[in-house]
Amino acid sequence: MWFVSFIKTSIGKKLVMAASGFLLLSFLAIHAFGNAAIYMGSKYFQIYADFLHGFPVLVLIFGVGLLVIFIAHVGVGLLLFFEKRKTASRYEVQTRVVENTFASRTMPYTGAWIFIFLIIHVFAFNIGKPEGVQISMLVQQYFSGFFYSLFYIISFIALAIHLNHGFWSMLQTFGLNHPRYNTLISALTIAVPVIFLVIFGGIPIYFMTGGAAGY
Amino acid sequence: MELNSRIPSGPLAEKWDSHRFQSKLVNPANRRKFRIIVVGTGLAGASAAATLAELGYKVDAFCLHDSPRRAHSIAAQGGINAAKNYQNDGDSVFRLFYDTIKGGDFRAREANVYRLAQVSTEIIDQCVAQGVPFAREYGGTLANRSFGGAQVSRTFYARGQTGQQLLLGAYSALSRQINSGGVSMYNRREMMDVVIVDGRARGIVVRNMITGAIESHSADAVLLCTGGYGNAYFLSTNAMASNVTAAWRACKRGAAFANPSFVQIHPTCIPVHGDYQSKLTLMSESLRNDGRVWVPKNKEDKRPPAQIPEEDRDYYLESKYPSFGNLVPRDVASRNAKEQCDLGKGVGSTGLAVYLDFGDAIKRDGEDVILRKYGNLFQMYEKITDSNPMVEPMMIYPAVHYTMGGLWVDYNLMTTVPGLFALGECNFSDHGANRLGASALMQGLADGYFVISTSIGNYFGSETISPVSSTDPAFKEVENDVDTRLQKLLQNSSGGPAGKVTVDDVHKEVGRLLWDNCGMSRNRQGLEHALEELPKIRDKFWSSVYVPGAGEDINQSLEKAGRVADFLEFGEFMIRDALSREESCGCHLREESQTEENEALRDDDNYSHVSVWEFKGDDQAPEMHKEPLVFENVTPSQRSYK
Amino acid sequence: MSSIDLTLKIWRQKNNDSLGDFETYILRDISTDMSFLEMIDVLNEQLTREGKDPVAFDHDCREGICGMCGAVVDGVAHGPDRETTLCQLHMRKFKSGDTIVIEPFRSIAFPIKKDLMVDRSALDRIIQAGGYVSVNTGGTVDGNSIPIGTETAELAMDAAACIGCGACVASCPNSAAMLFTGAKISQLSLLPQGLPERKERARSMVAQMDKEGFGYCSNEKECEAVCPKGISIRNIARMNREFLRSLLLGE
Repeated sequence: MWFVSFIKTSIGKKLVMAASGFLLLSFLAIHAFGNAAIYMGSKYFQIYADFLHGFPVLVLIFGVGLLVIFIAHVGVGLLLFFEKRKTASRYEVQTRVVENTFASRTMPYTGAWIFIFLIIHVFAFNIGKPEGVQISMLVQQYFSGFFYSLFYIISFIALAIHLNHGFWSMLQTFGLNHPRYNTLISALTIAVPVIFLVIFGGIPIYFMTGGAAGY
Repeated sequence: MELNSRIPSGPLAEKWDSHRFQSKLVNPANRRKFRIIVVGTGLAGASAAATLAELGYKVDAFCLHDSPRRAHSIAAQGGINAAKNYQNDGDSVFRLFYDTIKGGDFRAREANVYRLAQVSTEIIDQCVAQGVPFAREYGGTLANRSFGGAQVSRTFYARGQTGQQLLLGAYSALSRQINSGGVSMYNRREMMDVVIVDGRARGIVVRNMITGAIESHSADAVLLCTGGYGNAYFLSTNAMASNVTAAWRACKRGAAFANPSFVQIHPTCIPVHGDYQSKLTLMSESLRNDGRVWVPKNKEDKRPPAQIPEEDRDYYLESKYPSFGNLVPRDVASRNAKEQCDLGKGVGSTGLAVYLDFGDAIKRDGEDVILRKYGNLFQMYEKITDSNPMVEPMMIYPAVHYTMGGLWVDYNLMTTVPGLFALGECNFSDHGANRLGASALMQGLADGYFVISTSIGNYFGSETISPVSSTDPAFKEVENDVDTRLQKLLQNSSGGPAGKVTVDDVHKEVGRLLWDNCGMSRNRQGLEHALEELPKIRDKFWSSVYVPGAGEDINQSLEKAGRVADFLEFGEFMIRDALSREESCGCHLREESQTEENEALRDDDNYSHVSVWEFKGDDQAPEMHKEPLVFENVTPSQRSYK
Repeated sequence: MSSIDLTLKIWRQKNNDSLGDFETYILRDISTDMSFLEMIDVLNEQLTREGKDPVAFDHDCREGICGMCGAVVDGVAHGPDRETTLCQLHMRKFKSGDTIVIEPFRSIAFPIKKDLMVDRSALDRIIQAGGYVSVNTGGTVDGNSIPIGTETAELAMDAAACIGCGACVASCPNSAAMLFTGAKISQLSLLPQGLPERKERARSMVAQMDKEGFGYCSNEKECEAVCPKGISIRNIARMNREFLRSLLLGE
């Protein structure tokens, strides 16, 4: 099948990374939009959550779809990671001409961190959610714990770093590289991760700092 | 030896057409039965191999590099001429023909040159169709520039990398044929000899440069596209591996060699800076459009150039040639630079350089304009010399650049050995005694894309060629010769290097001898001296050259030694040819033949011929034959640049 | 002009089947006006006179255009000077007392032939897979019949400037040949002459690139940084686009 032979190619694999990355980014955007309701108070957040779960079939379908995309992103990422290890360090003297950014160097590791985070996160708020507790209350409950909040903040920093390289890399893989837009693109590689960091990272801080007193 | 140039009869402009009509053809279905060997994959070789394979012939192509794209055609900077008259400035096929004949100082065949001018226009179309990114005007049409003093703008170019782009075009066409199976490509093979069976060229013997194996390849015709022999001088603008071996081996097997002393010396090269130097780098001739050439008036004057005031500078080209000034032709500029240095007025640490000064141009046009025109050349110069031409004058000196001489060929590009053809720089046919700028690329591609297909068809169509395989005894015999020779090169290795000379030592020595005595200016005494010295160097080479390593392996010293051995033999042809031509013409000045004003004096009464040299044996002097040059459409005139 | 003393650590390997190792050589009084390859010439003359095997290395034009030379010098393909081939690198870039480590271009797709000499015919095979316009000699239209804007011609020329030296592969952490392949695909997709075959070309050249064992691109820009002709990774983006196009719109 053409799709199989396509994803076997070097550029095909990169396109799978970019496309799945793009879809995950879209999901993040929607997720961030919903979670922003937390800043408006528990009532609004609960309305949003209830509304979302009013379509259980759609949630299931999207959930499974998301899982598939996520597995593709992680799977191909791992494949590329091991492929790279075969050719790395083949010279006696190792010199980088371009100082590669911390973000690009740590892609597999920030990725791995996000992976672990997601397992814990999904278990806490989805699969392992205690019966009868409202999600808006659960958020408050979890983020009252210092270490739990710290873990979340670190994870969002890892996500931001991952996106910093991932966003540019995705556009380059899609073939979006043009001198006229490259300044905009490099601005976005900072802006996009920062926006996510502020929205998501702000939530634990919101609860930790007491900003959520009237939640 | 019979020299039949096979020039078609009829009016000049109709010769090529009528020749193509009269040439025999090979039925398309039969073409696959013919195998053709192409040696060399520069512009001529790659274009010929691709074109012949497209027609349906089986082609075996050979190159000594790791890839066919490396040939030295790639280094040509300036451009390629074509009589397109896109600029509406009065160009025409006849004008390109006339300029080329005149530029060659009336020592080339009218018919060949006219054909070259005719097919020049098709070359541009062909290259554009291949995706060669020629420079364009804003409206999208092809850009042209005037080059090498031409009065019309007929030179097409792709930045300063025209040779590269044209070669990559031919290489892509070749790659396409390799992919489709029309061409079998043999990389890293050096041709060691040509195999003649029943008087015809039927194959070659090559050395596999990776395994050292001696391999035989048989075919129905052999095309040599092996470039020029400028490296005989050791220092030249040629690539390190450029050599005469293929042409010289063919010559020893019966292919006559024409005008071996016709060598072009390019005036604007970066000077030699030390005895470790391996090659010379050419700077584009366009620099002379704005640079002023000068030396100090007083030879004792060792001040830095900026401190030498105007009145102590000698702008010798401007004062000697008021109407052409710094834009005199290559040979005149080169010769005068050498003359100044011989007078002791040369500059730089070696005294073998003259200044090319952009100071006035910068004052006149501003730094921006000059940088836009020459910025990349200045950068290249600075990279090599660590000196910035915007701040201090450039230093330049002439260097061996191109060889107009080459294997003698008839109108079909066939040598005196039936079935053996020579294309591009390795033949002698189109440039006479001097080549115009931007004409080398034109000739290589004309031969390969457009001329050879007709010749090959005619050869196969009019002769009966019996099958020969590479197991034929003739191949065994040549293989043995090649092997013996290689063993002879390695004979001194067993005793270790003590008391021996290296290949480079000998190469430098013979190069020096040729440069001093058979360079841009020659005289009887010097040439006779060289003729005496050369055998001594040759003897020294064979008796005491040390070549490390063995033959069954990659051995770059052995490769070099083989090439130098051939230069040592071939050099004698160059000297003898120079000696016998007692006139100044084209690129060289024969000191005995000068006007009262010390300008080159051509002698049409006695030397309006091609000197064709036949190899007669290792211990015998070669025999010279003359192919008279007949001019029916142009009248030879004496050049004057005063 | 001054001269410097150097210690060279050079990779020596008899052939692809044997194991190689570094050898150390001392060179004295090397003129700083020398090119890097002339410095190796001097070493080779010295080795020859000592009865030792000279270092095998590929080189030819020594003008930075044929693409034949190249080695990894102190971890950088073609050495420390930017937009410079090894033959155009000059010794004034080094200091007396320096130790210079010289290694061959390494990649799974570039088997070592001897010492610093590698087999880069994999790059030829990528071109053979489709790096051309399928046009026979003769019968072409007039060169001016299809106008091409200066900007397009310049962009195509930027891509076409590739000399095929393989430094991009040698420097890429993944041994990818994306810059090489991308440059050729770009050149031919920018020019109208290349358009009829663009989909097939992108597919088959990428397939050949993978088949040869070259890696993928992780957008680290090393290739662009060592490229002696300054070819931009914009050409890789263009190749990705061409590949995507062939995927989505191919028959």
